[in-house]
Amino acid sequence: MGNTIRFTLDGKTIESSDGETIWQAADRVNIPIPHLCYLPQPDYRTDGNCRACVVEIEGEGALAASCLRKPAEGMVVRSDSERARKSQSLVMELLMADQPSREKAHERESRLWEWAETLDTTSSRFPARDSIDRDLSHPAMHVALDACIQCNLCVRACREVQVNDVIGMAHRGHHAKIVFDFDDPMGASTCVACGECVF
Amino acid sequence: MQANTIEVMAGRFRNSDGRKARPYTKGRQVDRLTKAEIKALIGESPRRDLLIEYLHLIQDRHGHLSSKNLAALADEMCLAQSEVYEVATFYAHFDVVHEGENPPPPMTIRVCDSISCELANAEKLVHDLEQASLKDVRILRAPCMGRCATAPVAEVGHNHVDHATLKKITEAVAGKHIHPAIPDYIGFDDYCGSGGYRLWKNCLKGRYSPERILDDLDTSRLKGLGGAGFPTGRKWRIVGGYEAPRLMAVNIDEGEPGTFKDRYYLESDPHRFIEGMLIAAWVVGIEKSYVYIRDEYPAIIALLKEEIAKVQSAGLADHLEIEIRRGAGAYICGEESAMIESIEGKRGLPRNRPPYVAEVGLFGRPTLENNVETLHWVRDIIEKGPKWFSESGANGCSGLRSYSVSGRVKEPGVKLASAGITIRELIEGHCGGMLDGHKFKSYLPGGASGGILPASIDNVPLDFGTLHEYGCFIGSAAIVVFSDQDNMKDVALNLMRFFRDESCGQCTPCRSGTEKAARLMAKPEWDMELLEDLSTVMTDASICGLGQAAGNPINCVFKYFPEDL
Repeated sequence: MGNTIRFTLDGKTIESSDGETIWQAADRVNIPIPHLCYLPQPDYRTDGNCRACVVEIEGEGALAASCLRKPAEGMVVRSDSERARKSQSLVMELLMADQPSREKAHERESRLWEWAETLDTTSSRFPARDSIDRDLSHPAMHVALDACIQCNLCVRACREVQVNDVIGMAHRGHHAKIVFDFDDPMGASTCVACGECVF
Repeated sequence: MQANTIEVMAGRFRNSDGRKARPYTKGRQVDRLTKAEIKALIGESPRRDLLIEYLHLIQDRHGHLSSKNLAALADEMCLAQSEVYEVATFYAHFDVVHEGENPPPPMTIRVCDSISCELANAEKLVHDLEQASLKDVRILRAPCMGRCATAPVAEVGHNHVDHATLKKITEAVAGKHIHPAIPDYIGFDDYCGSGGYRLWKNCLKGRYSPERILDDLDTSRLKGLGGAGFPTGRKWRIVGGYEAPRLMAVNIDEGEPGTFKDRYYLESDPHRFIEGMLIAAWVVGIEKSYVYIRDEYPAIIALLKEEIAKVQSAGLADHLEIEIRRGAGAYICGEESAMIESIEGKRGLPRNRPPYVAEVGLFGRPTLENNVETLHWVRDIIEKGPKWFSESGANGCSGLRSYSVSGRVKEPGVKLASAGITIRELIEGHCGGMLDGHKFKSYLPGGASGGILPASIDNVPLDFGTLHEYGCFIGSAAIVVFSDQDNMKDVALNLMRFFRDESCGQCTPCRSGTEKAARLMAKPEWDMELLEDLSTVMTDASICGLGQAAGNPINCVFKYFPEDL
């Protein structure tokens, strides 16, 4: 294995070979770092948008997404520093503010809720967004955007993994919304119900 | 959707095994006539990166983007409908109209509600316009239009109305004055007549070497004047060090509230920038330059198209392909990597770094991105000598700054002065002092992003890096001056609403944080614990500078203006 480097993560020295991200290296040595928009599965591009996996890198101003960032020789990284943990938890708390409560959650065993438990952030002090209606137009699948965290995994599933090209992320800012074609009801869209986005 | 098709086709489809197949094609279909119209409009062999230009063509012709036209465009470009839709709905200047919806009225009035215009009673203007019930007109709020010295400002069609009043706007509407006024600027002949392009011709003749230009830039200490302040010579060397082909992106997306210096220079002396761009491309070894201009500057788009064509006809741009791109209403596209995404015809989502755009930029190539004012100074620095620039600073700082000053001063405008002067020197020495009846209370040193400073901190040099210890930065040097009549809690809410509206929505801290912060800041009492937490997560965990700076107004109000809470 060429290009092996050494870096420090949470005080542990880790050897890493070319191309591995900080998150992957952490996973390999059993240091859990929260992750929501990153799916460690074949063909899923890392995007770095949810910011649940941010880590503190010595000498850098802002925190970095560990799912994207590759370690460099001598880099000192902390996923467990007070600053990193605070942002990881706050990201989760922001997302929780806009979720249905756990009792009403559509999927209580989802990765989102698992990480919320791990980070001890299953509720939120922040005000909730305006409510969002469900799309029940498809006979097999319902679209419940009230649970959406805008991680765009379903866009990647549809566009890049299955190349069905139906789902997109429309509008911007807090209006950003998952859409089928031109924000059509799912049942009337070009969706072929492959199910990749449900995964 | 497709009800006719369904009726006509019903029951006629059977699979070979006799099972019923779906009697219609899934999703929205494209009609042939519309497709032919779109093809005629955008031309043969459409380019993916020109999607936003094509959307402009349709919006300009029809006044909106109908589903029918968008579907035809997607089909013609071989793009997913969702991909076209997400771009069309990202930018504020596109109006997407679904089947069965009414298109917008033929005329649009946009009223700027960013901070300098709010100080000048933009709120009342919006109210008065809404009460006036103008026929076939819609009234929209819009972010900073880069005319803050003449606040309040409105835009009727593409005609900007300075010092806008209900009377001026209704007259423009009645007279259908909807086209931009082209300012009186130094044209190609006059620029050449006063020594313009001589330096550039001398470069081509070999009288200057690229290395000599780079050395002069280093000595001049010219820094990126878009706001980041990165040393220009160093940036040119870095990009030049990466493998060709190299590209260039010129940032004329001047959207930071309070900033209007780039517009000022382009509307008075555009060739000085063009000459700087040609030299930059030659020194760095760039084969194509994309000039990205915000849609709020229609006069500049028109005049640059005309003047660049003259430069090309004169044989002065043979080494460089130049393409002008029109933004579509998105502050975030002023962020360098978001601009690159937009030039590629996508939503303006900032990229995670590394890699930096100098190495992996436009279309994956090494890219030199410069602000227009940075390039504006290149000719003077070489002709007058780099020390002319470096020694122009004050209070230990170096260079010149073009301060865009607005707010409660007698003579707002672009003030070219030493980098490092203080706010007092700027107000008293360059702006004729405070407005009568107004006492200096506080100021934004760097637009909406740079934080808020109190009048008590009035002796600090205004320059890159000097305001860091106060939790502020100068950025594009957009100075907005407030008086004893202004409440900083209201100011901060205006700034937060701007960030909320202009967030791209990509990352959680900024998308959700600005929305929650604006909600919390609109309450009579501010929750310090919650707002400080929001500020922390936005600053630490956002992808780009917008989110990372969005907490500054919160922090500064708590720190410097507790009496306003």
